[in-house]
Amino acid sequence: MSCHAPASVRVLGRSPIATMPDVLRVLLVGGPNVGKSTLFNALTGARQHTTNAPGTTVELATGTWRTAARDTREPATEHAIVDLPGTYSLLALSADEQVTADAVRELEQSSAEVTSQPGVAVVVLDATALPRSLYLLAQVAGTGVPIVVALTMLDLAEAATDSATTAAEPQTLAATLGAILGVPVIPVDARNRADGGLQELADAVHEVAAYPRRVTGIAPLATSCGGTTGTVAQQDNGKPGDGAGGSKAELGTVRVVRPDSAVPDLAEELAHAETLFGWVERVVEQVTTGRGPDDEAPAGASGPSHGPLHRTFSDRVDTVLLNPWAGIPVFLSVVWLLFELTTKFAAPLQGAIGQLVNGPLASVVTWLFGLLGLGDSWVQGLLVDGVLVGVGTVLTFLPVMAVMFASLGVLEDSGYLARAAFVADRAMRSLGLDGRSLLPLIIGFGCNLPALAATRTLPSARQRLLTGLLIPLTSCSARLTVYVLLASAFFPQHAGTVIFAMYLVSVLLVLGGGLLLRRTAFRDVHAGPLMLVLPPYQRPHLRTLGMSVRLRVGSFVARAGKIIVLTMIFVWALMAVPVTGQHSVGDVPVADSLYYSVASGIAPVLAPAGFGNDHAAAALMTGFVAKEVVVGSFAQSYAVAAPNDPARAGNLGAQLRASFDGSSGGHGGAAALAFMVFVLAYTPCVAALAEQRRLFGWRPTASALGVQLAGAWALAVLVFQVGSRL
Amino acid sequence: MTLPESPLGAELRVTGVRLPAAHAFRLNEMGIRLGTRAHVTQHAAFGGRVIAVAGSRYALDGETAALIDVEPVKCRE
Repeated sequence: MSCHAPASVRVLGRSPIATMPDVLRVLLVGGPNVGKSTLFNALTGARQHTTNAPGTTVELATGTWRTAARDTREPATEHAIVDLPGTYSLLALSADEQVTADAVRELEQSSAEVTSQPGVAVVVLDATALPRSLYLLAQVAGTGVPIVVALTMLDLAEAATDSATTAAEPQTLAATLGAILGVPVIPVDARNRADGGLQELADAVHEVAAYPRRVTGIAPLATSCGGTTGTVAQQDNGKPGDGAGGSKAELGTVRVVRPDSAVPDLAEELAHAETLFGWVERVVEQVTTGRGPDDEAPAGASGPSHGPLHRTFSDRVDTVLLNPWAGIPVFLSVVWLLFELTTKFAAPLQGAIGQLVNGPLASVVTWLFGLLGLGDSWVQGLLVDGVLVGVGTVLTFLPVMAVMFASLGVLEDSGYLARAAFVADRAMRSLGLDGRSLLPLIIGFGCNLPALAATRTLPSARQRLLTGLLIPLTSCSARLTVYVLLASAFFPQHAGTVIFAMYLVSVLLVLGGGLLLRRTAFRDVHAGPLMLVLPPYQRPHLRTLGMSVRLRVGSFVARAGKIIVLTMIFVWALMAVPVTGQHSVGDVPVADSLYYSVASGIAPVLAPAGFGNDHAAAALMTGFVAKEVVVGSFAQSYAVAAPNDPARAGNLGAQLRASFDGSSGGHGGAAALAFMVFVLAYTPCVAALAEQRRLFGWRPTASALGVQLAGAWALAVLVFQVGSRL
Repeated sequence: MTLPESPLGAELRVTGVRLPAAHAFRLNEMGIRLGTRAHVTQHAAFGGRVIAVAGSRYALDGETAALIDVEPVKCRE
């Protein structure tokens, strides 16, 4: 193996290490689905936050790990800990994996500096898949960073029938591995309400930080790759020792080259990897048989060992869930269930919260202002119609977000999510996306907000971003009210067909947008071969699930909620400032407000699409806040009562026909169609935008918003210009 | 023969991987290498296969599976 990352992957100048506080730094390194994040949550609790790795859209959870002192007279110690993206190898194939590789490399560099704070890599080993985990351990060990091993999935390993650690007792397995590897190996069960090995892990980290230990049999290079040759596969097979640590001869010493060169050479990498595989096999062999490296292997055992097949519980379940005929219907049923949960189940809760905030709570605050002599003042307007409405909006989204996070957690913990990626792989391949992308894209037709949250299940940051940019093109149910209103008003005989066509346009926009992005800004995103480890099915752990939901909902409130509230205050300000007539601030009819004045300014831009009237422009501005209120905005601007059922628009329908006919030169129907297309494509609501910003940062969100506005305008103009000529 | 041509449950040995080098390498790192013993445990839609290797289950899409050559292990070795 040469010391480099594949050329296709950008080597970052900085890693998460650079942003960590100057205390003991702990990196959690491990493969996907090994229980790393569960361990991280158990170690940090609420003392965590998510950030993007420097210069990337790769999301990282960083936090403070507070470890209690053994001696009660001493204060607790705090460590900075980061949950790195899961990877099978430090030779990265994606931006996420590169972040992990960079972090390990930078820990190595900072650990080597005398003035720098020490750091420890906690490598998480999956007891049900020791060979694969040990390979990553060998690579991390090869960098020379101090290592502690956390052994997870022991309950599943005990129950497994055909893994290398079948029926192994956790403590025995950990002790055996620790003796062979020469570094602390701590069995952990982060889901356990009791300590679950976390105190032992803390002690081991303290010990290794003070007295670094190396993995037996893996010798790090003393020089970097820059000007030296990559030394590979130097072995000195010795006799098995007592395994108490330190006897490198015991397993043979493998020199590992750092994965940071710029010149890829897969043949060399493969050759070196073979030596690591050899080391892994010798470790596994010692764990399972106790046989030393010089002992004669059984005849025919030239390849990696593998016993007879024992069909597991997961195999039996998969005969149904992955069946060529049943697999896809099952997947669609699961997505349908998620769709229903986030729309129908969460909707009553959303309504109840909205009524509580806008009804009794607003009344109480208004009453209090009256008591203070500030009734009907702009201060009251700011707090009630700005801040309180913003907070209410955030609160109304909490049920749907909680339901989504809990549902995804169940799918992930149970092991089904990996199967979903496998089943839906073919459908998303043309867009270069992981099969799991289908799930958020379908959920987007219910509500864009939880759909965006669902992108976190995707393994690659670029795929998360691409999916997140396509989700706003899925026609959420809030847009349906606009379609129903306009379709009923302009095409009463064919309203159903028009609405169906809008959903068809939405699907085409997702496909077209995806293909366009693949050929432009996302040329690096392509569907490689699907090679996925399927975790065993297991029962989701309620306490762990609850903690995960709480942390994620908290993150939404803290980060996206802030933007939502600020936007609502801004909208209130626009509506509260009078520009015409004799009104005081906060007591302005919409038609005399700055809001309406801005809408009037925008209206001429919409003229080529046939709906360049003030009412439509004002409704679209309101739609930016929430699509649900577009109908109400129309009613407000025409000064008519909002219809309870948009399909029976009544007076509002007549007003709409009149103004759209007026602004389109008598082609009101074409203008209405163009308006619907514009509503579909121009921007998601402010809550979805805030979530996009939380997940992907300002730049992609702002760029996407600009592109969507321009694209929606172009589409609407096209629809109107063609429609008005038919 | 290739993985999609292999019968369900039969014990196999990997004899060739004709994937692009970077992906073949990753497959190696994940534990599927020349000489690896495997069983096909599940046929999925579009030629996808689930294989069992050393206690783990790997899902491979149809195109990838078709690029992995295997031979049956005729007797208990």
